[in-house]
Amino acid sequence: MAEDRRQDQDFIRPVRRILIGLLATLMLLIFVVWRIDSPRVEQFRMAVIDRVVPSFDWAMRPVARGVALAENFRSYARIIEQNQELRRELQQMRAWREAALQLEQRNAQLLDLNQVRLDPQLTHVTGVVMADSGSPFRKSVLLNVGARDGVRDGWAVMDGLGLAGRIAGVGQRTSRVVLLTDTASAVPVVIQPSGQRAMLIGDNSAFPILEFIESPDDLRPGDRVISSDDGGVFPAGILVGEVVATSDRRLRVRISADFGRLEFLRVLRSRPMERIVDTGDLIAPDQLELNPLELEEPAALPPPLQSDAGDG
Amino acid sequence: MVERRQTQRLLYVSLFLGLAALMTFYRLLPLGSYGISHDLAGQDALPGSSIGFTLGSLPAPDFLLCLTLAWVVRRPDMLPAPIIVGYFFIEDILLLRPPGLWALIVLLGSEYLRTRTEQLRGYGFWLEFLFVIGLMLAMFLTNRAMLAIVMMPQAPLGLSFVQFLGTVAAYPVVVAVSHFIFGLRKPATGEVDSLGQRL
Repeated sequence: MAEDRRQDQDFIRPVRRILIGLLATLMLLIFVVWRIDSPRVEQFRMAVIDRVVPSFDWAMRPVARGVALAENFRSYARIIEQNQELRRELQQMRAWREAALQLEQRNAQLLDLNQVRLDPQLTHVTGVVMADSGSPFRKSVLLNVGARDGVRDGWAVMDGLGLAGRIAGVGQRTSRVVLLTDTASAVPVVIQPSGQRAMLIGDNSAFPILEFIESPDDLRPGDRVISSDDGGVFPAGILVGEVVATSDRRLRVRISADFGRLEFLRVLRSRPMERIVDTGDLIAPDQLELNPLELEEPAALPPPLQSDAGDG
Repeated sequence: MVERRQTQRLLYVSLFLGLAALMTFYRLLPLGSYGISHDLAGQDALPGSSIGFTLGSLPAPDFLLCLTLAWVVRRPDMLPAPIIVGYFFIEDILLLRPPGLWALIVLLGSEYLRTRTEQLRGYGFWLEFLFVIGLMLAMFLTNRAMLAIVMMPQAPLGLSFVQFLGTVAAYPVVVAVSHFIFGLRKPATGEVDSLGQRL
Protein backbone atom coordinates (compact mmCIF):
# COMPACT_ATOMS: atom_id res chain seq x y z
CA MET A 1 0.00 0.00 0.00
CA ALA A 2 2.70 2.39 1.04
CA GLU A 3 4.76 1.81 -2.06
CA ASP A 4 1.65 2.23 -4.10
CA ARG A 5 1.18 5.72 -2.93
CA ARG A 6 4.75 6.76 -3.57
CA GLN A 7 4.44 5.48 -7.09
CA ASP A 8 1.16 7.26 -7.40
CA GLN A 9 2.77 10.51 -6.49
CA ASP A 10 5.60 10.02 -8.92
CA PHE A 11 3.06 9.38 -11.59
CA ILE A 12 0.68 12.12 -10.60
CA ARG A 13 3.12 14.95 -10.12
CA PRO A 14 3.95 15.62 -13.82
CA VAL A 15 0.31 15.20 -14.82
CA ARG A 16 -0.65 17.69 -12.16
CA ARG A 17 1.95 20.14 -13.35
CA ILE A 18 0.54 19.94 -16.86
CA LEU A 19 -2.97 20.47 -15.54
CA ILE A 20 -1.93 23.57 -13.62
CA GLY A 21 -0.12 24.87 -16.68
CA LEU A 22 -3.22 24.31 -18.76
CA LEU A 23 -5.41 26.11 -16.26
CA ALA A 24 -3.03 29.05 -16.10
CA THR A 25 -2.86 29.24 -19.88
CA LEU A 26 -6.62 29.09 -20.11
CA MET A 27 -7.02 31.98 -17.67
CA LEU A 28 -4.40 34.03 -19.48
CA LEU A 29 -6.11 33.29 -22.76
CA ILE A 30 -9.47 34.41 -21.45
CA PHE A 31 -7.93 37.60 -20.13
CA VAL A 32 -6.22 38.32 -23.45
CA VAL A 33 -9.37 37.56 -25.43
CA TRP A 34 -11.28 39.87 -23.12
CA ARG A 35 -8.78 42.62 -23.68
CA ILE A 36 -8.90 42.17 -27.44
CA ASP A 37 -12.59 41.61 -27.96
CA SER A 38 -14.12 43.18 -24.90
CA PRO A 39 -17.73 43.58 -26.12
CA ARG A 40 -18.20 39.90 -26.83
CA VAL A 41 -16.81 38.76 -23.49
CA GLU A 42 -18.79 41.46 -21.72
CA GLN A 43 -21.87 40.13 -23.45
CA PHE A 44 -21.06 36.71 -22.11
CA ARG A 45 -20.55 38.18 -18.65
CA MET A 46 -23.87 39.96 -18.84
CA ALA A 47 -25.53 36.71 -19.87
CA VAL A 48 -24.01 34.93 -16.88
CA ILE A 49 -25.08 37.66 -14.48
CA ASP A 50 -28.49 37.68 -16.09
CA ARG A 51 -28.79 33.99 -15.34
CA VAL A 52 -27.18 33.86 -11.92
CA VAL A 53 -28.18 36.94 -9.98
CA PRO A 54 -31.97 36.76 -10.37
CA SER A 55 -31.82 33.22 -9.01
CA PHE A 56 -30.36 34.64 -5.79
CA ASP A 57 -33.15 37.14 -5.56
CA TRP A 58 -35.24 35.14 -3.12
CA ALA A 59 -32.37 35.16 -0.68
CA MET A 60 -31.14 38.68 -1.32
CA ARG A 61 -34.44 40.44 -0.92
CA PRO A 62 -35.14 39.34 2.69
CA VAL A 63 -31.58 39.98 3.86
CA ALA A 64 -31.48 43.43 2.33
CA ARG A 65 -34.88 44.21 3.79
CA GLY A 66 -33.78 42.97 7.19
CA VAL A 67 -30.73 45.16 7.23
CA ALA A 68 -32.77 48.15 6.08
CA LEU A 69 -35.21 47.43 8.90
CA ALA A 70 -32.40 47.36 11.43
CA GLU A 71 -31.10 50.65 10.09
CA ASN A 72 -34.51 52.18 10.41
CA PHE A 73 -34.87 50.81 13.90
CA ARG A 74 -31.62 52.38 14.92
CA SER A 75 -32.82 55.72 13.71
CA TYR A 76 -35.87 55.49 16.00
CA ALA A 77 -33.50 56.18 18.83
CA ARG A 78 -33.04 59.74 17.65
CA ILE A 79 -36.65 60.26 16.83
CA ILE A 80 -37.31 63.39 18.89
CA GLU A 81 -34.24 65.13 17.62
CA GLN A 82 -35.21 64.22 14.11
CA ASN A 83 -38.73 65.38 14.62
CA GLN A 84 -37.60 68.83 15.62
CA GLU A 85 -35.23 68.96 12.75
CA LEU A 86 -37.96 67.95 10.34
CA ARG A 87 -40.33 70.57 11.70
CA ARG A 88 -37.75 73.22 11.17
CA GLU A 89 -37.09 72.02 7.68
CA LEU A 90 -40.78 71.84 6.96
CA GLN A 91 -41.12 75.48 7.87
CA GLN A 92 -38.37 76.40 5.48
CA MET A 93 -39.87 74.17 2.84
CA ARG A 94 -43.23 75.93 3.08
CA ALA A 95 -41.56 79.17 2.17
CA TRP A 96 -39.76 77.47 -0.68
CA ARG A 97 -42.90 75.82 -1.88
CA GLU A 98 -44.63 79.14 -2.14
CA ALA A 99 -41.74 80.52 -4.10
CA ALA A 100 -41.66 77.44 -6.31
CA LEU A 101 -45.34 77.69 -7.12
CA GLN A 102 -45.00 81.27 -8.13
CA LEU A 103 -41.98 80.48 -10.22
CA GLU A 104 -43.75 77.58 -11.85
CA GLN A 105 -46.62 79.75 -12.93
CA ARG A 106 -44.27 82.36 -14.20
CA ASN A 107 -42.23 79.74 -16.00
CA ALA A 108 -45.32 78.32 -17.63
CA GLN A 109 -46.27 81.75 -18.84
CA LEU A 110 -42.84 82.41 -20.21
CA LEU A 111 -42.66 79.04 -21.93
CA ASP A 112 -46.00 79.72 -23.44
CA LEU A 113 -44.80 83.08 -24.68
CA ASN A 114 -41.75 81.48 -26.19
CA GLN A 115 -43.72 78.59 -27.67
CA VAL A 116 -41.14 76.14 -26.40
CA ARG A 117 -41.94 72.55 -27.19
CA LEU A 118 -40.69 70.14 -24.57
CA ASP A 119 -39.51 66.79 -25.78
CA PRO A 120 -42.66 64.66 -25.74
CA GLN A 121 -40.82 61.40 -26.21
CA LEU A 122 -39.30 61.32 -22.76
CA THR A 123 -41.09 58.41 -21.12
CA HIS A 124 -39.62 56.09 -18.58
CA VAL A 125 -39.48 52.55 -17.23
CA THR A 126 -39.01 52.08 -13.52
CA GLY A 127 -36.94 49.22 -12.16
CA VAL A 128 -36.02 47.89 -8.75
CA VAL A 129 -32.38 47.67 -7.67
CA MET A 130 -31.53 44.00 -7.37
CA ALA A 131 -27.84 43.82 -6.62
CA ASP A 132 -24.75 45.79 -6.00
CA SER A 133 -21.61 45.58 -8.10
CA GLY A 134 -19.93 43.86 -5.18
CA SER A 135 -16.62 45.51 -5.81
CA PRO A 136 -15.40 48.47 -3.79
CA PHE A 137 -14.02 50.05 -6.94
CA ARG A 138 -17.12 49.87 -9.04
CA LYS A 139 -20.14 51.98 -8.32
CA SER A 140 -22.91 50.29 -10.16
CA VAL A 141 -26.18 48.53 -9.48
CA LEU A 142 -28.24 45.91 -11.23
CA LEU A 143 -31.84 46.71 -12.18
CA ASN A 144 -34.56 44.19 -12.84
CA VAL A 145 -35.54 45.65 -16.19
CA GLY A 146 -33.71 44.65 -19.32
CA ALA A 147 -33.94 44.20 -23.07
CA ARG A 148 -37.34 42.61 -22.49
CA ASP A 149 -38.61 46.00 -21.36
CA GLY A 150 -36.94 47.81 -24.21
CA VAL A 151 -34.02 49.14 -22.19
CA ARG A 152 -30.99 50.04 -24.29
CA ASP A 153 -27.40 50.87 -23.57
CA GLY A 154 -26.65 54.48 -22.76
CA TRP A 155 -30.06 55.55 -21.49
CA ALA A 156 -30.11 57.90 -18.58
CA VAL A 157 -31.21 56.65 -15.17
CA MET A 158 -32.59 58.83 -12.41
CA ASP A 159 -34.18 58.37 -9.07
CA GLY A 160 -37.12 60.56 -8.15
CA LEU A 161 -35.03 63.68 -7.86
CA GLY A 162 -32.00 63.68 -10.09
CA LEU A 163 -29.75 61.86 -12.46
CA ALA A 164 -28.21 58.72 -10.99
CA GLY A 165 -26.23 57.23 -13.85
CA ARG A 166 -26.57 55.53 -17.18
CA ILE A 167 -27.27 52.07 -18.47
CA ALA A 168 -24.15 50.10 -19.35
CA GLY A 169 -24.85 46.50 -20.17
CA VAL A 170 -28.28 45.10 -20.86
CA GLY A 171 -29.31 41.52 -20.31
CA GLN A 172 -32.62 39.93 -21.14
CA ARG A 173 -34.09 40.56 -17.72
CA THR A 174 -31.51 42.75 -16.03
CA SER A 175 -29.48 45.78 -16.84
CA ARG A 176 -26.52 47.41 -15.17
CA VAL A 177 -26.46 51.04 -14.16
CA VAL A 178 -23.11 52.75 -13.89
CA LEU A 179 -23.59 55.38 -11.21
CA LEU A 180 -22.23 58.90 -11.54
CA THR A 181 -19.65 58.16 -8.85
CA ASP A 182 -18.02 55.31 -10.78
CA THR A 183 -14.60 56.00 -12.20
CA ALA A 184 -15.84 55.00 -15.63
CA SER A 185 -18.60 57.57 -15.60
CA ALA A 186 -18.24 60.83 -17.51
CA VAL A 187 -21.32 62.89 -18.21
CA PRO A 188 -21.68 66.23 -20.00
CA VAL A 189 -23.38 68.82 -17.81
CA VAL A 190 -24.36 72.45 -17.85
CA ILE A 191 -23.90 74.62 -14.80
CA GLN A 192 -26.60 77.16 -14.15
CA PRO A 193 -26.88 80.11 -13.95
CA SER A 194 -23.60 80.78 -15.73
CA GLY A 195 -24.45 78.27 -18.47
CA GLN A 196 -20.98 76.81 -18.65
CA ARG A 197 -20.49 73.34 -19.99
CA ALA A 198 -18.37 70.80 -18.18
CA MET A 199 -17.81 67.10 -17.78
CA LEU A 200 -18.85 65.40 -14.57
CA ILE A 201 -16.31 62.67 -13.94
CA GLY A 202 -16.68 60.09 -11.20
CA ASP A 203 -13.70 59.21 -9.06
CA ASN A 204 -15.09 56.65 -6.66
CA SER A 205 -15.79 59.29 -4.03
CA ALA A 206 -19.24 60.52 -3.14
CA PHE A 207 -18.66 63.80 -4.93
CA PRO A 208 -17.71 63.52 -8.61
CA ILE A 209 -15.33 66.08 -10.08
CA LEU A 210 -16.24 68.81 -12.55
CA GLU A 211 -13.64 68.95 -15.28
CA PHE A 212 -13.05 70.97 -18.42
CA ILE A 213 -14.66 74.12 -17.08
CA GLU A 214 -13.90 77.15 -19.14
CA SER A 215 -13.69 79.71 -16.38
CA PRO A 216 -13.97 78.17 -12.94
CA ASP A 217 -14.05 81.63 -11.39
CA ASP A 218 -17.59 82.11 -12.60
CA LEU A 219 -18.81 79.18 -10.60
CA ARG A 220 -19.99 79.42 -7.06
CA PRO A 221 -20.70 76.66 -4.60
CA GLY A 222 -24.41 76.02 -4.69
CA ASP A 223 -24.81 76.53 -8.44
CA ARG A 224 -27.20 74.08 -9.99
CA VAL A 225 -25.79 71.39 -12.26
CA ILE A 226 -28.09 69.92 -14.87
CA SER A 227 -27.46 67.39 -17.59
CA SER A 228 -26.72 68.48 -21.12
CA ASP A 229 -27.35 66.84 -24.45
CA ASP A 230 -23.84 67.40 -25.74
CA GLY A 231 -22.78 64.38 -27.71
CA GLY A 232 -26.36 63.23 -28.03
CA VAL A 233 -26.24 60.74 -25.18
CA PHE A 234 -28.39 62.23 -22.47
CA PRO A 235 -31.59 64.20 -22.50
CA ALA A 236 -30.92 67.76 -21.46
CA GLY A 237 -32.24 69.46 -18.40
CA ILE A 238 -32.27 66.70 -15.80
CA LEU A 239 -31.15 67.89 -12.40
CA VAL A 240 -27.79 66.44 -11.40
CA GLY A 241 -26.83 68.30 -8.26
CA GLU A 242 -25.10 71.37 -6.99
CA VAL A 243 -21.54 72.59 -7.11
CA VAL A 244 -19.40 72.30 -4.01
CA ALA A 245 -15.84 73.52 -3.60
CA THR A 246 -13.45 71.32 -1.68
CA SER A 247 -10.55 72.44 0.43
CA ASP A 248 -8.12 71.62 -2.37
CA ARG A 249 -9.86 74.19 -4.59
CA ARG A 250 -11.40 71.60 -6.85
CA LEU A 251 -14.98 71.83 -7.93
CA ARG A 252 -17.12 68.83 -7.23
CA VAL A 253 -20.81 68.10 -7.38
CA ARG A 254 -23.10 67.06 -4.57
CA ILE A 255 -25.48 64.74 -6.36
CA SER A 256 -29.19 65.29 -5.85
CA ALA A 257 -30.12 61.67 -6.36
CA ASP A 258 -30.21 59.93 -3.00
CA PHE A 259 -27.38 57.45 -3.39
CA GLY A 260 -27.88 56.32 0.18
CA ARG A 261 -31.17 54.73 -0.70
CA LEU A 262 -31.26 53.64 -4.27
CA GLU A 263 -34.22 51.35 -4.49
CA PHE A 264 -36.40 52.32 -7.42
CA LEU A 265 -34.72 53.81 -10.43
CA ARG A 266 -36.28 55.40 -13.46
CA VAL A 267 -34.78 54.61 -16.85
CA LEU A 268 -35.53 57.40 -19.30
CA ARG A 269 -36.29 56.21 -22.79
CA SER A 270 -34.39 58.53 -25.00
CA ARG A 271 -34.55 58.37 -28.74
CA PRO A 272 -31.40 59.03 -30.68
CA MET A 273 -31.44 62.65 -31.58
CA GLU A 274 -31.93 63.74 -35.16
CA ARG A 275 -28.74 64.86 -36.79
CA ILE A 276 -28.32 67.60 -39.30
CA VAL A 277 -26.24 65.95 -42.00
CA ASP A 278 -26.21 68.14 -45.08
CA THR A 279 -25.04 71.68 -45.29
CA GLY A 280 -27.51 74.39 -46.15
CA ASP A 281 -28.79 74.43 -49.71
CA LEU A 282 -28.49 77.37 -51.98
CA ILE A 283 -31.55 79.54 -51.56
CA ALA A 284 -32.72 80.57 -54.95
CA PRO A 285 -36.01 80.53 -56.80
CA ASP A 286 -36.18 77.53 -59.09
CA GLN A 287 -37.27 79.35 -62.16
CA LEU A 288 -34.59 81.96 -61.94
CA GLU A 289 -32.59 80.65 -64.84
CA LEU A 290 -35.49 79.28 -66.87
CA ASN A 291 -37.54 82.40 -67.28
CA PRO A 292 -36.06 85.42 -65.62
CA LEU A 293 -39.09 87.45 -66.62
CA GLU A 294 -41.30 85.93 -63.96
CA LEU A 295 -38.99 86.92 -61.23
CA GLU A 296 -41.49 89.27 -59.64
CA GLU A 297 -43.98 86.50 -59.05
CA PRO A 298 -43.90 84.81 -55.69
CA ALA A 299 -41.67 81.98 -56.76
CA ALA A 300 -41.97 78.49 -55.42
CA LEU A 301 -40.62 78.37 -51.92
CA PRO A 302 -37.12 77.03 -51.57
CA PRO A 303 -36.94 73.47 -50.28
CA PRO A 304 -37.58 73.47 -46.53
CA LEU A 305 -34.42 74.03 -44.60
CA GLN A 306 -33.01 71.12 -42.76
CA SER A 307 -32.34 73.26 -39.77
CA ASP A 308 -36.03 73.01 -38.92
CA ALA A 309 -35.54 69.42 -37.95
CA GLY A 310 -34.19 70.37 -34.59
CA ASP A 311 -31.28 72.27 -33.32
CA GLY A 312 -29.86 69.76 -30.93
CA MET B 1 -9.91 4.12 4.90
CA VAL B 2 -9.28 5.72 1.56
CA GLU B 3 -12.93 6.66 1.45
CA ARG B 4 -12.64 8.40 4.76
CA ARG B 5 -9.84 10.58 3.48
CA GLN B 6 -11.86 11.34 0.36
CA THR B 7 -14.89 12.22 2.44
CA GLN B 8 -12.87 14.60 4.54
CA ARG B 9 -11.53 16.24 1.44
CA LEU B 10 -14.97 16.53 -0.07
CA LEU B 11 -16.16 18.06 3.17
CA TYR B 12 -13.48 20.72 3.15
CA VAL B 13 -13.97 21.52 -0.51
CA SER B 14 -17.69 21.98 -0.04
CA LEU B 15 -17.05 24.04 3.08
CA PHE B 16 -14.72 26.26 1.05
CA LEU B 17 -17.23 26.64 -1.75
CA GLY B 18 -20.02 27.38 0.72
CA LEU B 19 -18.03 30.06 2.53
CA ALA B 20 -16.92 31.56 -0.76
CA ALA B 21 -20.47 31.67 -2.07
CA LEU B 22 -21.58 33.31 1.16
CA MET B 23 -18.94 36.01 0.80
CA THR B 24 -19.81 36.69 -2.83
CA PHE B 25 -23.46 36.78 -1.90
CA TYR B 26 -22.77 39.31 0.84
CA ARG B 27 -20.78 41.49 -1.52
CA LEU B 28 -23.56 41.45 -4.08
CA LEU B 29 -26.21 42.46 -1.56
CA PRO B 30 -27.67 45.86 -2.42
CA LEU B 31 -26.85 47.36 0.98
CA GLY B 32 -24.10 49.65 -0.13
CA SER B 33 -24.47 53.33 0.41
CA TYR B 34 -22.72 53.93 -2.92
CA GLY B 35 -20.30 56.32 -1.35
CA ILE B 36 -22.63 58.50 0.66
CA SER B 37 -22.97 57.98 4.37
CA HIS B 38 -26.30 56.88 5.73
CA ASP B 39 -26.36 59.77 8.12
CA LEU B 40 -29.60 61.66 8.06
CA ALA B 41 -27.85 64.93 8.70
CA GLY B 42 -26.11 64.69 5.36
CA GLN B 43 -25.32 68.39 5.45
CA ASP B 44 -22.70 67.84 8.09
CA ALA B 45 -20.69 65.54 5.89
CA LEU B 46 -19.10 68.42 4.08
CA PRO B 47 -16.82 67.42 1.25
CA GLY B 48 -13.17 68.17 1.20
CA SER B 49 -12.30 66.83 4.57
CA SER B 50 -14.45 63.74 4.30
CA ILE B 51 -13.71 62.85 0.71
CA GLY B 52 -10.71 60.82 1.80
CA PHE B 53 -11.23 57.64 3.70
CA THR B 54 -14.34 57.57 5.73
CA LEU B 55 -15.06 54.19 7.17
CA GLY B 56 -18.16 53.70 5.07
CA SER B 57 -16.38 54.04 1.79
CA LEU B 58 -13.43 51.81 2.59
CA PRO B 59 -13.12 48.76 0.40
CA ALA B 60 -13.75 45.60 2.34
CA PRO B 61 -10.83 43.18 2.73
CA ASP B 62 -10.64 40.25 0.38
CA PHE B 63 -11.58 37.51 2.82
CA LEU B 64 -11.71 34.88 0.12
CA LEU B 65 -8.07 35.41 -0.73
CA CYS B 66 -7.15 35.05 2.95
CA LEU B 67 -9.19 31.88 3.21
CA THR B 68 -7.59 30.36 0.14
CA LEU B 69 -4.03 31.16 1.18
CA ALA B 70 -4.59 30.09 4.80
CA TRP B 71 -5.99 26.74 3.72
CA VAL B 72 -3.33 26.11 1.14
CA VAL B 73 -0.66 26.80 3.74
CA ARG B 74 -2.29 24.44 6.21
CA ARG B 75 -3.57 21.54 4.20
CA PRO B 76 -2.64 21.86 0.52
CA ASP B 77 -4.13 18.45 -0.17
CA MET B 78 -7.59 19.58 0.95
CA LEU B 79 -8.02 22.36 -1.57
CA PRO B 80 -7.38 21.31 -5.19
CA ALA B 81 -6.22 23.99 -7.60
CA PRO B 82 -9.09 23.61 -10.12
CA ILE B 83 -11.57 24.50 -7.36
CA ILE B 84 -9.64 27.67 -6.56
CA VAL B 85 -9.34 28.74 -10.17
CA GLY B 86 -12.94 27.89 -10.94
CA TYR B 87 -14.30 29.86 -8.05
CA PHE B 88 -12.12 32.90 -8.56
CA PHE B 89 -13.02 32.91 -12.23
CA ILE B 90 -16.72 32.93 -11.40
CA GLU B 91 -16.07 35.73 -8.95
CA ASP B 92 -14.18 37.65 -11.66
CA ILE B 93 -17.23 37.41 -13.85
CA LEU B 94 -19.75 38.36 -11.19
CA LEU B 95 -17.78 41.22 -9.68
CA LEU B 96 -16.93 42.88 -13.00
CA ARG B 97 -13.21 42.34 -12.73
CA PRO B 98 -11.18 41.60 -15.84
CA PRO B 99 -12.07 37.93 -16.31
CA GLY B 100 -9.28 35.47 -15.74
CA LEU B 101 -6.59 37.81 -14.49
CA TRP B 102 -7.17 37.63 -10.76
CA ALA B 103 -7.97 33.93 -11.03
CA LEU B 104 -4.63 33.39 -12.76
CA ILE B 105 -2.76 35.37 -10.12
CA VAL B 106 -4.43 33.52 -7.27
CA LEU B 107 -3.65 30.22 -8.96
CA LEU B 108 0.02 31.11 -9.33
CA GLY B 109 0.17 32.41 -5.77
CA SER B 110 -1.42 29.32 -4.27
CA GLU B 111 0.77 27.04 -6.38
CA TYR B 112 3.81 28.89 -5.12
CA LEU B 113 2.65 28.26 -1.57
CA ARG B 114 2.04 24.62 -2.41
CA THR B 115 5.61 24.10 -3.54
CA ARG B 116 6.80 25.66 -0.28
CA THR B 117 4.65 23.42 1.91
CA GLU B 118 7.56 21.61 3.52
CA GLN B 119 9.30 24.86 4.32
CA LEU B 120 6.18 26.56 5.66
CA ARG B 121 5.44 23.64 7.93
CA GLY B 122 8.50 24.49 9.94
CA TYR B 123 7.49 28.12 10.41
CA GLY B 124 5.55 29.46 13.35
CA PHE B 125 2.51 31.59 12.72
CA TRP B 126 4.25 34.98 12.62
CA LEU B 127 6.87 33.86 10.15
CA GLU B 128 4.17 32.33 8.01
CA PHE B 129 2.20 35.57 8.29
CA LEU B 130 5.17 37.58 7.02
CA PHE B 131 5.60 35.14 4.17
CA VAL B 132 1.94 35.44 3.22
CA ILE B 133 2.04 39.25 3.44
CA GLY B 134 4.91 39.25 0.98
CA LEU B 135 3.04 36.93 -1.33
CA MET B 136 -0.16 39.02 -1.16
CA LEU B 137 1.78 42.19 -1.89
CA ALA B 138 3.34 40.50 -4.90
CA MET B 139 -0.09 39.38 -6.06
CA PHE B 140 -1.67 42.83 -5.71
CA LEU B 141 1.28 44.44 -7.47
CA THR B 142 1.22 41.87 -10.27
CA ASN B 143 -2.46 42.59 -10.74
CA ARG B 144 -1.83 46.29 -11.03
CA ALA B 145 1.18 45.80 -13.25
CA MET B 146 -0.75 43.55 -15.63
CA LEU B 147 -3.60 46.04 -15.82
CA ALA B 148 -1.10 48.81 -16.46
CA ILE B 149 0.58 46.81 -19.21
CA VAL B 150 -2.67 46.26 -21.08
CA MET B 151 -3.62 49.87 -20.35
CA MET B 152 -6.78 49.25 -18.40
CA PRO B 153 -8.27 51.95 -16.18
CA GLN B 154 -7.44 51.04 -12.60
CA ALA B 155 -8.78 51.57 -9.15
CA PRO B 156 -7.08 54.44 -7.34
CA LEU B 157 -3.80 53.36 -5.78
CA GLY B 158 -4.81 54.57 -2.34
CA LEU B 159 -7.98 52.52 -2.29
CA SER B 160 -6.33 49.32 -3.44
CA PHE B 161 -3.57 49.84 -0.90
CA VAL B 162 -6.18 50.20 1.83
CA GLN B 163 -7.78 47.00 0.61
CA PHE B 164 -4.42 45.28 0.74
CA LEU B 165 -3.91 46.43 4.33
CA GLY B 166 -7.39 45.25 5.24
CA THR B 167 -6.72 41.88 3.69
CA VAL B 168 -3.46 41.56 5.60
CA ALA B 169 -5.27 42.44 8.82
CA ALA B 170 -7.99 39.89 8.07
CA TYR B 171 -5.53 37.02 7.57
CA PRO B 172 -4.95 36.20 11.26
CA VAL B 173 -8.70 36.24 11.87
CA VAL B 174 -9.32 33.84 9.03
CA VAL B 175 -6.51 31.60 10.27
CA ALA B 176 -7.94 31.61 13.79
CA VAL B 177 -11.41 30.73 12.55
CA SER B 178 -10.04 27.95 10.34
CA HIS B 179 -7.96 26.64 13.19
CA PHE B 180 -10.43 26.68 16.04
CA ILE B 181 -13.75 26.24 14.29
CA PHE B 182 -12.99 24.17 11.18
CA GLY B 183 -10.14 22.27 12.80
CA LEU B 184 -7.75 22.91 9.96
CA ARG B 185 -4.19 22.69 11.26
CA LYS B 186 -0.77 22.11 9.91
CA PRO B 187 0.14 18.48 10.35
CA ALA B 188 2.71 18.15 13.13
CA THR B 189 6.05 16.60 12.36
CA GLY B 190 5.66 12.88 12.16
CA GLU B 191 1.87 13.02 12.20
CA VAL B 192 0.34 10.21 10.21
CA ASP B 193 -3.00 9.76 8.57
CA SER B 194 -5.29 6.81 9.06
CA LEU B 195 -3.26 4.77 6.57
CA GLY B 196 -0.11 5.34 8.52
CA GLN B 197 1.30 7.55 5.83
CA ARG B 198 3.21 10.69 6.55
CA LEU B 199 1.12 13.72 5.90
